[in-house]
Amino acid sequence: MALQTTTKASLLLGRCVPCLKQNASKFKVKKLELDTNLLMYFGKEEYIYAFDPQKLCKTGDIVLIEELPKKMTRLITHAVKKVVYPLGDITDPMSGKKVVAGKYRDYIEAVNKVYGEKRGAFKYDEAPPRGWQEGKRDFTHRETYIKYHESGEEDPYAV
Amino acid sequence: MPFMIGPAPIRRTLKFLEAGRLALKEQIKIFAVHYNLHDDNNKGAKEFVFWYLPQIQYKNPDVQIATFKNLTPSPFIRCFYESGHEMLIDIDNKSKDEIYEHLIRVVGKTKEVLEAESISKEKKDNPANFGVGCDRHCICEIPGQIPCPGVVPLPMHMRGKYKYKKDV
Repeated sequence: MALQTTTKASLLLGRCVPCLKQNASKFKVKKLELDTNLLMYFGKEEYIYAFDPQKLCKTGDIVLIEELPKKMTRLITHAVKKVVYPLGDITDPMSGKKVVAGKYRDYIEAVNKVYGEKRGAFKYDEAPPRGWQEGKRDFTHRETYIKYHESGEEDPYAV
Repeated sequence: MPFMIGPAPIRRTLKFLEAGRLALKEQIKIFAVHYNLHDDNNKGAKEFVFWYLPQIQYKNPDVQIATFKNLTPSPFIRCFYESGHEMLIDIDNKSKDEIYEHLIRVVGKTKEVLEAESISKEKKDNPANFGVGCDRHCICEIPGQIPCPGVVPLPMHMRGKYKYKKDV
C-alpha cells in the first residue's frame, strides 16, 4: 500500500470545499492510512480539483468524482460524476424520502402540525434552491481569510 | 502486544488484521457506511464499524472506506462500483456478525477466487524464477549457467555457424 505518494483511485467520494476556479470544484477526499507502528488507521485528507463546468456542486455537498482518462490541466485530474448528498437536502436511498439529520421530513412536519407551526419557520417545500443568498448572507462559496490590516474597504470574506 | 492502549487493542494486532475474511470484489471502489450514534437499531452497525472496519481496509487497501454519521434515520451500507452501479445494504437492527456474513456473501470474493489468487501470488513470489517481472532477466544471470554470450563468446561446438557449416 502506498504510504508517501497518494494513488489517485478511479472513483472517489468527496466533500465540496470552496474553490475559485471557473470550470472546476475542489473536493476534500478523506482516506484511511495505516500507521505501521500503531497498526491503526488514521484519516488523511487530500484535495482534488474536479471538472465541473455547470457548477453543480455547492460547498458541503458529498459528491462522487471519477478520474479522467487524461489530465485536463496540471491540477484538474477528475470530473464530477454525481452529487450524492446535497447539503441540507439529503434523500434517504433506502426509503426515497427526504431526511433532516436522522429524522424524516414528513415526521417532523406532522409533529409540528400537532404542536403548532411557528410563523418564521423554514418551509422546505416553499424555499428557493440553494444559492439565492450568495453574496448577501451566504459566504460559503468562497474561501475566507484572516484580516491583519484594516484597509477601510468592507470585505465579507475577511474573517 | 506493545503499545496496547485504547479500547479493544486487539484490533490493532497484525494477526487480527490478517484474519479479515471480507475481500471486496474488484469492481467496488467505495464502501460507505451510514449509521447513527444514539439509537438502538444502530447498535450492530456501530459494533461492525468498531470491530471489522480496520480488517476490511487492511484486506482492501485500494477501496475508499467512508463513514457517515447521523445523516439518515436508518443505517445502511452503500457500495459504489466502477461501472456506475450502486449496492445498498440495509443493516437496520442487525448484529455485527449478521452484517459481516451478509457482506461476505453479497460483495465479497468467493473462496475459490481467493484460493486461485493466493496460488498465482505464490508463483510470482518464487525467487527461482527469471524473466519478465522477476529479479533476474535472463538465464545467463543465474550462477551455474553459461555466461552471457554477448559478453563471453560461446565455445565452437555450441555455435550454429560452426556446427552446421559445410566445408566448401
